[in-house]
Amino acid sequence: MVQLNEIVDNAKAEKRAKFCINDHMDVLIEILKRLDDRSIGVAACVCRLWCALTRNDALWEHLCFRHLSPPPQGVRTVVVALGGYRRLYTVCVKPVLSRLEKMRAGGAAEWERRVWTRHEVELSLSLFCVDYYERVLLGGGGGGRVSGDAAAPSSLMFLCKAVNV
Amino acid sequence: MWSCEAEDAGVDELFAVLGYKVKSSDMAEVAQKIEQLEEVMGSVQQDGLSQLASETVHYNPSDLSSWLESMISGLNPMPEFDSSSDPFLESSTITTIDNGSSVNSRAQMVADSDFGSDLISIPGKAIYPRTQPPAPPPQPQPQPQQQQQPPAKKPKTLSYLGNSVANLQSERVFARPVESTRSVVLVDSQENGIRLVHTLMACAEAVQQENFKLAEALVKNVGFLAVSQAGAMRKVATYFAEALARRIYRLYPTNPQDPAFTDLLQMHFYETCPYLKFAHFTANQAILEAFAGKNRVHVIDFSMKQGMQWPALLQALALRPGGPPSFRLTGIGPPSNDNTDHLQEVGWKLAKFAETINVEFEYRGFVATSLADLNAAMFDIREGETVAVNSIFELHQLLARPGAIEKVLQVVRELKPEILTVVEQEANHNGNVFLERFTESLHYYSTLFDSLESCGAGNCDALVSDQDKVMSEVYLGRQICNVVACEGVDRIERHETLTQWRVRFGSAGFGPVHLGSNAYKQASMLLALFAGGDGYRVEENNGCLMLGWHTRTLIATSAWKLS
Repeated sequence: MVQLNEIVDNAKAEKRAKFCINDHMDVLIEILKRLDDRSIGVAACVCRLWCALTRNDALWEHLCFRHLSPPPQGVRTVVVALGGYRRLYTVCVKPVLSRLEKMRAGGAAEWERRVWTRHEVELSLSLFCVDYYERVLLGGGGGGRVSGDAAAPSSLMFLCKAVNV
Repeated sequence: MWSCEAEDAGVDELFAVLGYKVKSSDMAEVAQKIEQLEEVMGSVQQDGLSQLASETVHYNPSDLSSWLESMISGLNPMPEFDSSSDPFLESSTITTIDNGSSVNSRAQMVADSDFGSDLISIPGKAIYPRTQPPAPPPQPQPQPQQQQQPPAKKPKTLSYLGNSVANLQSERVFARPVESTRSVVLVDSQENGIRLVHTLMACAEAVQQENFKLAEALVKNVGFLAVSQAGAMRKVATYFAEALARRIYRLYPTNPQDPAFTDLLQMHFYETCPYLKFAHFTANQAILEAFAGKNRVHVIDFSMKQGMQWPALLQALALRPGGPPSFRLTGIGPPSNDNTDHLQEVGWKLAKFAETINVEFEYRGFVATSLADLNAAMFDIREGETVAVNSIFELHQLLARPGAIEKVLQVVRELKPEILTVVEQEANHNGNVFLERFTESLHYYSTLFDSLESCGAGNCDALVSDQDKVMSEVYLGRQICNVVACEGVDRIERHETLTQWRVRFGSAGFGPVHLGSNAYKQASMLLALFAGGDGYRVEENNGCLMLGWHTRTLIATSAWKLS
């Protein structure tokens, strides 16, 4: 009757009040690791803690290489030095993968995709290096260029404009 | 009297009242021609009608049928020229050659020209017939010609070049003086495109035969026709016209050009289209594979420029299993006009980059006006070093001086490199005959400009800015100028085909190294990323990789070792 419902409700409320995901950061991180880039962006808007977590480069590293088995060795120092995984993802990996995905609309097998992904990542890394070199060392590339968006490197202009998450 | 009556017999009475003589049997034809004329007049792009009012030969407008014909053909002229300011016109003129035309009664002006006989007419199509009678006749053009129907329409991407060039015949006809000026009124760009090509070819032929007066006239024509085109064709035609004009008027472009500006142009070219990236990535792959397992490596770069090739190689070496080798780079570059040591700056930047990714790096720069000035001792090859020599679009410049390429290849031999990577344009722009060079380069650069057009279009917010495209076009335009206008030592854009280079390398003691499937895959992927991705083709040719646009290969990467 009414009383029973009240008890159940109270129990639920108590339970709800006790569990807060922010207290369980490892679980939270595990969950965030499995999201795609847009969802991570959305998650970053939830609260300050989540924002800080999503800016953790390890998350993005996982995003970059989660399809790659085994993950490439020694890449981390290089990538971190050149601007971090988040930048790598937004500027190179995502456009490369999405572009090539469109080209492969004819449905390649999963294992085939793995093999290609390694090459794709290598290509992304090469382009990332070129981007760093141009951006940081050549000073915006070309000279006399009006670069409205500092995050858009000149040599990678042929890739889609990345959304800075 | 009698002859007069005989002439007027069968003339339509209503028209006769207005003062026009139109045979009743011709009525339908006349009506169609009126429609054509309206259409043609309506689609004139420039203020061409004012030219009709200029000095022309007067024809009797009352013979409506033939007058209409003359009007129509006057508004669709064959390549003619504005001869008002040309003094040489007193002696000869240029026009097209009639081919079995029926209405030949007018004064025909044929000239000492090498125009092809298959120049085509533009039939005005009666799309929207108008009912009003023709306007009070302005002075008609004095140039009635009957021309053939055009052949099947060819696609705009200049692929018809092959056919039309083959059809070009030269016929010699005698000249007749003409009294008046004629001017060009342009309609219907499709046929004008074909005309444009014909005019360019004819001009080149005239230059070949040192008939500079004819060439001068034709070059001006090209200018007119080029304006009526759009996109790639317009630009190509403009550059070729400019180059031809330079050749004719002997206003040769200044050499050597400012290397800083050339570098800047090349940077933009690097960004807009994949050719340079393709070159760098495939060469890097070959060098990477040659350096497998080596701990001390030395790369000698004949084409240092901004050093864009090397960050990717450094990264690949940094990430290879076993860790990076100690890396030494020697860059060769031309002397710079200002006092900055450009080579050293580039070296410093690369050093910083190498430091960022933890690769041991050493750099040395050499300034040399020509690669032939180098000798092997300069490079200070150390014991146990593995050497790679890299040349992107540099070797063809040596062909301008006899003996230079042999000397450089000899120097390379003495360096005992593990691998020599060469990227060159895949075209023969070094023939002895000017006309052949011209034709070849017209094909080549048309294809190249075509591919540039696709780079700008396509993807989202026009990320490849117009500025970049224009700079790339200027970069290519300079090459065009050099191929067409320069001669002797100044002509440095002496491209040769891969087959020709193979012979050269073979006789210099080099054997081919096959570029592996990794290079092929990477190149294919790289091209797939570009906006015009479907147009680009990577091909493997006996171990060499070639990049082309649709059916035409444009650049070739090859790798060599000492045999």
